[in-house]
Amino acid sequence: MSVLRPLDKQPGLNTATILLVGTEDALLQQLADAMLKEDCASELKIHLARSLPLPSDVNRPRIDLIMFVVNLHSKYSLQNVEESLRHVDATFFLGKVGFLAMGAGQESHCSIHRNTVTKLANTYRSPLFFCDLEREGFRATVAQRLVRMLQICAGHVPGVSALNLLSLLRSSENPAPEDL
Amino acid sequence: MERRPGEQAAGEPADCGAGGGEGGDDEPPQGAGAQAARPEARLTLLLRLRAQTKQQLLEYKSMVDASKYFHFQISFYDKIEDLEKEVEEVKTAFEMKKLALDRMQLSIALQKNLEKIDPKTSVLMDNMKHVLKLNKLIMKSHQESWDLEEKLLDVRKKRLELKQSSENKLLEIQTEKNKQKDDLANMENSNKIKAMQRNLKMEIQITTVIQNVFQNLILGSKANWAEDPTLKEIVLQLEKNLATI
Repeated sequence: MSVLRPLDKQPGLNTATILLVGTEDALLQQLADAMLKEDCASELKIHLARSLPLPSDVNRPRIDLIMFVVNLHSKYSLQNVEESLRHVDATFFLGKVGFLAMGAGQESHCSIHRNTVTKLANTYRSPLFFCDLEREGFRATVAQRLVRMLQICAGHVPGVSALNLLSLLRSSENPAPEDL
Repeated sequence: MERRPGEQAAGEPADCGAGGGEGGDDEPPQGAGAQAARPEARLTLLLRLRAQTKQQLLEYKSMVDASKYFHFQISFYDKIEDLEKEVEEVKTAFEMKKLALDRMQLSIALQKNLEKIDPKTSVLMDNMKHVLKLNKLIMKSHQESWDLEEKLLDVRKKRLELKQSSENKLLEIQTEKNKQKDDLANMENSNKIKAMQRNLKMEIQITTVIQNVFQNLILGSKANWAEDPTLKEIVLQLEKNLATI
């Protein structure tokens, strides 16, 4: 199972699973804790991974949402994410993938330009969020957003699907098709 | 790098009665009240699960339908763009219609409201009058600023014209000066002047010779010309060097 496919397993009852992929372990852990603190009617399962592909010997539930976390201060995290993107099936990108860029606040430390990440998100037609994961208030906000997104991607919100959400998120942010 | 540092499974349902259907891993704080709440909570849970499974079934169905098209392998980008454009168009049309509908509803509500209330005393009328006043003010100030801009434009045009005409005049002056210089140079080089100069020189030489002859005549006659004033005058006149006049 070297490639992640979105709908290859039965969904768990009342369960929503998110996979956070990124090199910053401590911050991912804190984000996961913040997400768990959020009010949510369904059960949340959070998987953390440094990079894909995930080891195939473990029995894991169906993954509903993948968030790739890129640290704008280190080029290595961008490389890591780009490597991992190859192991994700194309059908995942219909709304079940998102990019989270952190560290955009300190311009002097940024070694990756914002445009690089924006282009990456545009190529994969996925939403891009900017967040400063080190401040607790912002982390809580992003956690809330992720939890809502996760609920929609897992199908727990009747009437809204992941694809719907994708086109809703797109209209305000990026005029992506013209660039391509 | 394929290590997986952590796998966290968290089961924290927010409403305390949600997991209580199995007879309570979470101990509900109230005693008997929770017993009554649990069947209702179970009902809500079941309804929610029903909605979830419906939605998930819809997703799977749509995936299955879509996968039938994946075999064609035509260029995806164009297709995606077309579909997205369609979605955008439908969305905007919907938004416009919603706006129009809202406006109609608003105007009808306004009408009914106006019919009910005495028009002279309502706050609405005051607001509307204020709005009209402000609009008039806005139009007036727009007009004024427009006039001022027009004037500014006129002044600028005139300035430009003046600049251009002054440029022209200076150019004319320059050409005139150049012409004069050229004429002067031409005149100096012309043949007539050269001939005239030659003649003049000749005449001067002839007169100088005549002067010398007369001088020598008077000197050779050995008359004392210093005493006689007329002779003196003649001799001195003959001394004039005609070349320097």
